[in-house]
Amino acid sequence: MSEIIFGSNIMQLLISLILVSTFMILGSTRLYSCVRAFGIQSLLLACVAGIVAYSTGKSDIYIVSALTLVIKALVIPYIFIYIIREIKVKREIGLYVGISPSLIIGGILVVISYYLIRSINLITELSSFALSASMSLVSIGLFIMISRKKAIMQMLGILIMENGLFLGAISLTYGMPLLVELGIFFDVLIGALIMGILIFRINRTFESIDTDMLKTLIG
Amino acid sequence: MIEYLLLAPVITCILCFFAKSRKQVEMVSLTGSIATLLLGLVLVAEVYKNNIIISWTNALFADTFSAFIVLIVSIVGFVASLYSVGYMGHEMEHGAMDFRRLRIYYGLFHIFMFTMLLVGVTNNLGLWIAIEMTTLVSALLMILYSKKSSVEAAWKYMIICTVGITFALFGTILTYFAAVRILGESGDALNWTSLVSVADQFDPTIMKLAFIFILIGYGTKAGLAPMHTWLPDAHSEAPTPVSALLSGVLLNCAMYGIIRFYTIATKSTGTAFTSNLLIIFGLLSLGIAVPFILLQEDYKRLLAYSSVEHMGIIAIGIGFGGVFGIFGAILHMFNHAMTKSLMFFGAGNVLLKHDTKEIFNVSGLVKSMPYTGAMFVIGGLAITGSPPFSIFISEFTILAAGFSQGHIIAAVLFLIFIIMIFAGFFNNVSRMAFGMPKPGIEKGEVSRWTLSAMAVLIVFVIVLGVYIPPSFYEMIMKVVEIVR
Repeated sequence: MSEIIFGSNIMQLLISLILVSTFMILGSTRLYSCVRAFGIQSLLLACVAGIVAYSTGKSDIYIVSALTLVIKALVIPYIFIYIIREIKVKREIGLYVGISPSLIIGGILVVISYYLIRSINLITELSSFALSASMSLVSIGLFIMISRKKAIMQMLGILIMENGLFLGAISLTYGMPLLVELGIFFDVLIGALIMGILIFRINRTFESIDTDMLKTLIG
Repeated sequence: MIEYLLLAPVITCILCFFAKSRKQVEMVSLTGSIATLLLGLVLVAEVYKNNIIISWTNALFADTFSAFIVLIVSIVGFVASLYSVGYMGHEMEHGAMDFRRLRIYYGLFHIFMFTMLLVGVTNNLGLWIAIEMTTLVSALLMILYSKKSSVEAAWKYMIICTVGITFALFGTILTYFAAVRILGESGDALNWTSLVSVADQFDPTIMKLAFIFILIGYGTKAGLAPMHTWLPDAHSEAPTPVSALLSGVLLNCAMYGIIRFYTIATKSTGTAFTSNLLIIFGLLSLGIAVPFILLQEDYKRLLAYSSVEHMGIIAIGIGFGGVFGIFGAILHMFNHAMTKSLMFFGAGNVLLKHDTKEIFNVSGLVKSMPYTGAMFVIGGLAITGSPPFSIFISEFTILAAGFSQGHIIAAVLFLIFIIMIFAGFFNNVSRMAFGMPKPGIEKGEVSRWTLSAMAVLIVFVIVLGVYIPPSFYEMIMKVVEIVR
């Protein structure tokens, strides 16, 4: 059944667009455009969930879709913008790995994810397309965390990973049971708030949010 | 019943914010933690009678294993709140803390208790939610002091553990996927009880993948090497009562997650796969702890690396398997919680008195702080596994299991690492405890509150070394039955 949903053209288009939005984050040097791309990514995810809800007719998934829209596409980007504005951070994101190598690495990660998922071959009835996109999001999120200097980008990386898992869950099992799904949303939201608090604290203590400073505790 | 247990710390937290003075907030916190302890004990008694309690439409659940975790959380939580009165009181008298932050501290402390209790009693893979919550709350507790080092530690902790736990979520999703194929799509497909009963029909390929992700994910939170890098920073930079909770209880909570999944995954993949993974990660943790303990200069980090070691020992115990191995591992969870909290409390007293974390700047504790010094030495002997203290019993059981289950090489390595750690750790402790006190350090204890907290713990350390009460023994045997 899920083969029908995920094989459908519109679904493939949406998932491709999610990948595109991830590359928009990889390819941009300015914080605002990264946040905007993240917002678009979450919006697309909400659409994916919406289509799954429509074609399975499950009301639970409508709730999940709506929550994705509100929390991930509106509230969390707003938190980001609030942080950026309040701490008057320089708008460049600070790179350890330049833009073009980043994009190439991103591409390689997508290819690896695709072959990894196909080689495991455990999901016969599901489109491996969605799952490999989900793996790509997780690995690119991880890559963003280690290749960008600003603490705020590490926070964004975690949220991209989380989005990837959300896509994975919805393509494998139409998401988790509602109670669990609600709990995860709660944790993601509180997590974003607390990371925000930490970023403010880092900024106040170190007068910068470059993670270069955070390298004193060793041994 | 379970709801009341969860409600107690939440109510305490709210009341903390209504307190008007230091005395009031301390009273509220103490009363709250005594209530939590009593309710925890009632829950243990109920589970002892009925074996399984389910409430709140299946979302909350307690079997003997949950009750065991609840027991550890509520005992250490109670003792830590006793200790907090002395420790934070001292910090306040010396201007390191103001009333506003003291109130926040106690409020967060009880919310932290709530999240850890929740880990024990959620009846499904939603365990993930509770474990992530513990990270969020404890990161806030860590930045109570706005020192550079604690902000750095909190950020590392938050980032590494959140990424780790994201992997665990993937493992959870895979497990759910495996379960849905057998049980169909319902909320029940995530419940421990229904998972365990059908776990042998799960697809082994999926479960292998799931277990690897779970082990890496919750292993990060449990401080298994090589994902342990946040642990020494976080545990040494947190306020001392919180360090004790992090080391003694929170690591156990993450371990609990691993063990629950171990039970499910083993039924599907067979023992060899899961056990070998646990043994490898366990030995790695032990091995990595050795050089850091031998060459450590900071006594709180020393204790933190010792936690990495002990989580490794628990993983190895589960990996060795058999009744003995699992019995040893479960008993070790309890013993380590008590002994490590005792050590952190001792270290906290030393820190308040000497205002330094350097091992070389502390000596003659037995003379300058006789009670703390004596208990610190006993704790040091106990934590390294010397007889006749409690940890000796559990480590010995695990070692015996290793030999009897045929893991000879692993058991020999285990023994070698333990001996090296004993030498390194005790060398450091004796350097602090004996000799002449540093000039300028007056004789005298910091506070009676902190001493009474240590006294409670040392009873467990000594008594469980020579005598395991029959009811406690029976409880652990029931847990072993659940895990196997």
